[in-house]
Amino acid sequence: MRKIFLIIAFFTAIISNVPGQGIGSPGTIKDDGRLSASTKQLNQFFRRFNGEESIDGTVRFYPEDSLYRNVPLRKGFLDILFDNQTSSVSPDLKNQFIQTVLSEAYPHYLNFHREGWYAEVDTYFTFKGKREQVTFIMKIQAEGLGYEWVIDRVIFEPFKTLFNKQVGDQKDFLHPLSHELGFMNLRRAFQDSNSPESFTANSYEPDYLAIFLYEMKQNNLRFETVSGLKFHFFQIQGWYFEVNQFNRPGFNTGWLISNLVRLGPGDKETILKHIYDQD
Amino acid sequence: MKNKVILFLGLFLSASLAVMAQDNISPARKQAIDSLALEKVKDLSKYVSIIGSKETQFSEANRVMDRAEELFAPGAEMGVSSINTQEVAYYKVRRYFERLMALNYDRVNITWYDIQYISDLERQPDGRYVGVITVYQRFEGTSIETGMNYKDTTKKDITIYVEKKQTQIAGRTIEFWDVMLGDVRVTETSA
Repeated sequence: MRKIFLIIAFFTAIISNVPGQGIGSPGTIKDDGRLSASTKQLNQFFRRFNGEESIDGTVRFYPEDSLYRNVPLRKGFLDILFDNQTSSVSPDLKNQFIQTVLSEAYPHYLNFHREGWYAEVDTYFTFKGKREQVTFIMKIQAEGLGYEWVIDRVIFEPFKTLFNKQVGDQKDFLHPLSHELGFMNLRRAFQDSNSPESFTANSYEPDYLAIFLYEMKQNNLRFETVSGLKFHFFQIQGWYFEVNQFNRPGFNTGWLISNLVRLGPGDKETILKHIYDQD
Repeated sequence: MKNKVILFLGLFLSASLAVMAQDNISPARKQAIDSLALEKVKDLSKYVSIIGSKETQFSEANRVMDRAEELFAPGAEMGVSSINTQEVAYYKVRRYFERLMALNYDRVNITWYDIQYISDLERQPDGRYVGVITVYQRFEGTSIETGMNYKDTTKKDITIYVEKKQTQIAGRTIEFWDVMLGDVRVTETSA
């Protein structure tokens, strides 16, 4: 037992004698306020947006705390949650948004577990020997005892050019009395035609994710790396905003709102279609 | 002596981890878990400084690497990106430490900023909780021959897994919350 204590003491001595040291040691660098101001995690974006933590981020506020969702605290946070250096969001639109969010009668909050926000993840894969960009639209869902991120859509250029369905009198078709011939003319669809999608219903939409997963299982796709990330929020009624990470000098850094749109009728669907690459 | 060790372990587990039967994590327990997780991150930061230091003997660095590896869940990876490219380069934890040790500088100084950020804990489908602790590291490497002096500041987003476990002490089953480190995202910053 004494040996164990000696080993522990020896190891502790080694650690405490090394220059540089770790977090909390005397050699720690004092932040000049820039790192403190930065919205360091998306989690912090949520907490700041909702007014659920102290200004320096060291104290998490809960419903029983007096400062939980405190309006002046939120106002201060919301002001700094915008990209104030490069975004084209006008001060007027920003103020309207902040007023909506802080409304006395109906304040708005973000909810991590609720629907209405998406991650857009840019990646690189090798597809049949060639490096290709792949974008995933991801969302949070409840599963088992907790939650998980899942792929909702994949955007992959090589697949989009696979399907080129003509419409009207330009397209190949199976004539309407094909059934009388026992569909012997299916040969036209599956052997003679190089666009078999022409023989699908008007409602047919290619499921790119299914193809993507199939190609992965066939070992035709190999993951390389993640190259970018941003978030889309529709949780504030009547508004859409985009959150990006800003890695630059100064105090206005981290996860910030880079794009803000007041939604009119039909705008949400249009933006969602754009995000999901359907337009 | 054996009884003393058991008593010490029992006190440690009950005091620092607030042993509870239910699964929900109260704010008080979250704080206790945060402290424990932060201790692990502090240990990691010390180990990184030791491994990176040119004053550390090879054998000693290897021993510290073993200790550092023990902090991590199996299969954990470091994902590194620079200011020039957001693309992530992946390294197994051990490989990352080995690369750090082998850096071609005569003098290396690794220091840490006094700021850290601890996320909420979210429950995974398997019942374990997951969180992220963000810390900032300053690296300075000097090459005497070329006179080159390289400096960078990296943001490290460290995954923590929190799991309720059981142990037998003096015939009694005691539950406690255990923390393991997981994948680490290392981003070069402009700070």
